[in-house]
Amino acid sequence: MAEATRKLRRFSVTHRLWHLGLIVIFMTLSVTGIAWMYLETPWGKSVAGWFGGWENTLEIHKIAGLVMLAGFAGHILYMLYKIDWKRFPGSLLGPDTLVFQWVDIKGFFKHLGWIFGLAKAPRFDRWSWWEKFDYWAVWWGFIIVGLTGLILYNPVLSSDYMPGWLLNVMLWVHRVEAVLAMGHIFTIHFFVEHFRPHNFPYNASMFDGLVDLEQAREEHPEWIERLQREGKLEGLLTNEPPVPLRILYFGVGYAIIGLGLFLLIFALANFAQLTLF
Amino acid sequence: MKAYYTISPWQLMKNLLVIAVFTALAGGTAEAESGTGFYRDQDMLPGSYRLYLQSPDLAGMLWKVGPRKSTLRKASFKPDAHEGVADYSPRSLCNDCHRDHERDIHMSRVGITCVQCHRDDPIAGVYQYYSAMNPIRRHAYVCAKCHEGATPSFATYMVHEPRALALSTLDSFPLLGYATWFMVILAGGVFVFFVPYTALWGVRELIGKMFGRSGHG
Repeated sequence: MAEATRKLRRFSVTHRLWHLGLIVIFMTLSVTGIAWMYLETPWGKSVAGWFGGWENTLEIHKIAGLVMLAGFAGHILYMLYKIDWKRFPGSLLGPDTLVFQWVDIKGFFKHLGWIFGLAKAPRFDRWSWWEKFDYWAVWWGFIIVGLTGLILYNPVLSSDYMPGWLLNVMLWVHRVEAVLAMGHIFTIHFFVEHFRPHNFPYNASMFDGLVDLEQAREEHPEWIERLQREGKLEGLLTNEPPVPLRILYFGVGYAIIGLGLFLLIFALANFAQLTLF
Repeated sequence: MKAYYTISPWQLMKNLLVIAVFTALAGGTAEAESGTGFYRDQDMLPGSYRLYLQSPDLAGMLWKVGPRKSTLRKASFKPDAHEGVADYSPRSLCNDCHRDHERDIHMSRVGITCVQCHRDDPIAGVYQYYSAMNPIRRHAYVCAKCHEGATPSFATYMVHEPRALALSTLDSFPLLGYATWFMVILAGGVFVFFVPYTALWGVRELIGKMFGRSGHG
């Protein structure tokens, strides 16, 4: 295969669809949630205006939350289906799983050492420690935001099963966790996946499922060597997607990044106007 | 006139979805299974909201960490709570004096005014027997105006909640204070760790690129 077309298939269609669904639902929840949180500011009102007012905004937020929980339940079922139960629990500890292992702790410290020039770059396998962190952070976020969101979905019904003042607590937990999730995605995740020099200006892996072979050799050398040893590498090599598709991925990706940065910047700029704190 | 006994297919689907999710989480209740979704079943049946109150241990444990009763004022029992208040005028702005009541998302977000809950002048104290705000009827006379089917349990929601991050809230509403502080420390910890980490990471990669050395992350 020609050098210029040496792309490696890293994410399956299913992986990419999960991620795309997550993007759509997360951004919907972010825009509507921020609009509701900032409704007392002119900016918040204008964002809510995109959906026809606060009532629609809140309704969309609630429905998107239910879809998110349904998707999360679906993902858990998918995960259970994908587990190799014959080799369980050993199957959870292979290099292809996202389960945190001792090697990730070592990977973290080696990476830290590399940042400070004290060690060589760590030789990651298929998943690096921060990729696993990103994956499990979604679980942690979904559990906290999802559970509190479900309770807040119908506060009257929820207060049948608990004192109404617990809704005050749920609102704050929901709010802070949502701010954490958005802040993390719009700064750290965007930077690590798109803006650091290795990936700049754009990493389309989650759209086309491909990574540049040479880049993969740098960042995941253990994985590439393992694929070579197992004779699987050639089978995973493919061509770049056609130019129109790459333009589409870039456009959609940057539209999402732009929306995230818009929310982040205006939320910070309008923060002082909130009476919540 | 709107035919209030009709329900759109969309609304019906939404109600069924919510009932299914709540029923699954609550382990299934007879009320949820037999309910039409229109009337609250506790209008006719013993309220399920009393379940947690019927367990003295659970209720006691919950209320230990819940909002503490503030000092009761005599004015809270008067038909006119402002009777004898110096310089009070019905034209005064409520927030001029009730500054601790400013933090209220009903007002700040949706524009609900004080009189919509506390009623117009003379404003009765919240514990005055005939006051709409009296906890014995607050859920029905105040909350239910917007929150259909509101129960006494629902009405314990603190509309004028204390500042969640104020140290005094750890005493006045312990669960709110501690839960919010826990979440803020968790969120702050993530940013305090990752923001410098990723910034240094970016710098390290940039240096590697500038000096022509391969390096990633």
